Amino acid sequence: MEFDWSVVVDATPALLGGARLTILITLAGLVGGLAVGFIAGLMRAYGNALLNAVAFTYVELVRGTPIVVQVMFIYFALPVLADIRVNPMTAAITAIIVNAGAYIAEIVRGSFLSVHKGLREAGLALGLPTWKVLFYIVGPVAFRRMIPPLGNQFIVSLKDTSLFIVIGVGELTRQGQEIMAANFRAVEIWSAVAILYLIMTGTLTLILRATEKRMRML
Amino acid sequence: MSLVEFRKVTKTFDTVVVLKEVDLAIDAGEVVVLIGPSGSGKSTLLRCINALEQINGGDLVVDGISVKAGSSKIRLIRQEAGMVFQQFNLFPQMTALENVAFGPRRVRGASRREATEQAEALLAKVGLADRGHHYPAELSGGQQQRVAIARALAVKPKLMLFDEPTSALDPELRHEVLRVMQALAEEGMTMIVVTHEMAFARKVGTRLIFMEDGKIAVDGEPADLLAKAENPRLREFLQHVN
Repeated sequence: MEFDWSVVVDATPALLGGARLTILITLAGLVGGLAVGFIAGLMRAYGNALLNAVAFTYVELVRGTPIVVQVMFIYFALPVLADIRVNPMTAAITAIIVNAGAYIAEIVRGSFLSVHKGLREAGLALGLPTWKVLFYIVGPVAFRRMIPPLGNQFIVSLKDTSLFIVIGVGELTRQGQEIMAANFRAVEIWSAVAILYLIMTGTLTLILRATEKRMRML
Repeated sequence: MSLVEFRKVTKTFDTVVVLKEVDLAIDAGEVVVLIGPSGSGKSTLLRCINALEQINGGDLVVDGISVKAGSSKIRLIRQEAGMVFQQFNLFPQMTALENVAFGPRRVRGASRREATEQAEALLAKVGLADRGHHYPAELSGGQQQRVAIARALAVKPKLMLFDEPTSALDPELRHEVLRVMQALAEEGMTMIVVTHEMAFARKVGTRLIFMEDGKIAVDGEPADLLAKAENPRLREFLQHVN
């Protein structure tokens, strides 16, 4: 068979539009996911029994179910259960927030707990309240240790957006699928889609590597 | 009234009783050297003073505040009782100067300039004026421990707690830390020091306490006790450390 470049050229605008949505969902989802993950992770690491149990249940519910099921639940089941009607975009972003948040919670917990307890004691011994010790002393050390696993999670979440094809969000994979259905040029379209994903994940990797280089690892 | 007062203090870890109804009063200006075999409770006793360990029985009053008075009062105790750790525990993401300026800035609420000036003066005092911009990882153990002493002093405590400050150091680096501690004692700082440095105990200490099995076994003048240890366990212990 012959690789027909004109197919790729024709498909590019639609695919780029899909990639734009993919980036949008990923960014919004990860910003929210980081916030949720930090809160849940700190609840797990330092919270009392109740906070710990709440965060643990959340993490287990999310880790124990596929993300496709989660987004289906948000999009199709929530309207029935609670009369909350959401558009596909909102459902997609919410799914990333909820899903990435649970994994990030474990990353945050692990890296905070990996910091030598002597640092925490040294901070407390100066007469600081615990939250200041975590914010000024343990947090900055923990944050550096989070970068590699967070990078992993960012890339996983970016690729997970392709599963939102099931609720009809026009992200990159969905765009590819639609063009394919019209012209049956599987090789050209899926090659182009794969390369666009690689460009996006590659950019993420570069950003993470630059961040890591700028920080003194401790 | 004493600066530190233990009243029948008991401390347990699970089922192990580490401190058994300890009574002890320490006045301002004393340099108390705490010795004893490992597991005798000397580090725990020290860590109860600034409530890094919570006592299980009795009461412990530091500068008029009970360690059982709640977390905001405990913070006041900790501001009056600086601590130096065996493993230094400097903040690795901060330079030496930032480590020392941290307390004044975040605990005492000083301005950045004030805190930095104070920190520079303290680093000079411990002989590290030219090391302010180095990170802990770039300093020797002895230098790190001197920065740690300056960091504790920066909060302007009334009392300094030293938990085996030279145990993690090579022999040739110990004296530089001990010299700083001696200078501090000569300025009249109240100090409680857990250590195995008998020469320091003899030269700088005003009081020597030998702990054994969670109790204070011997309490007296360092020179006296080291010259003629009457307690057989103390005599045996001294033979092992000397």
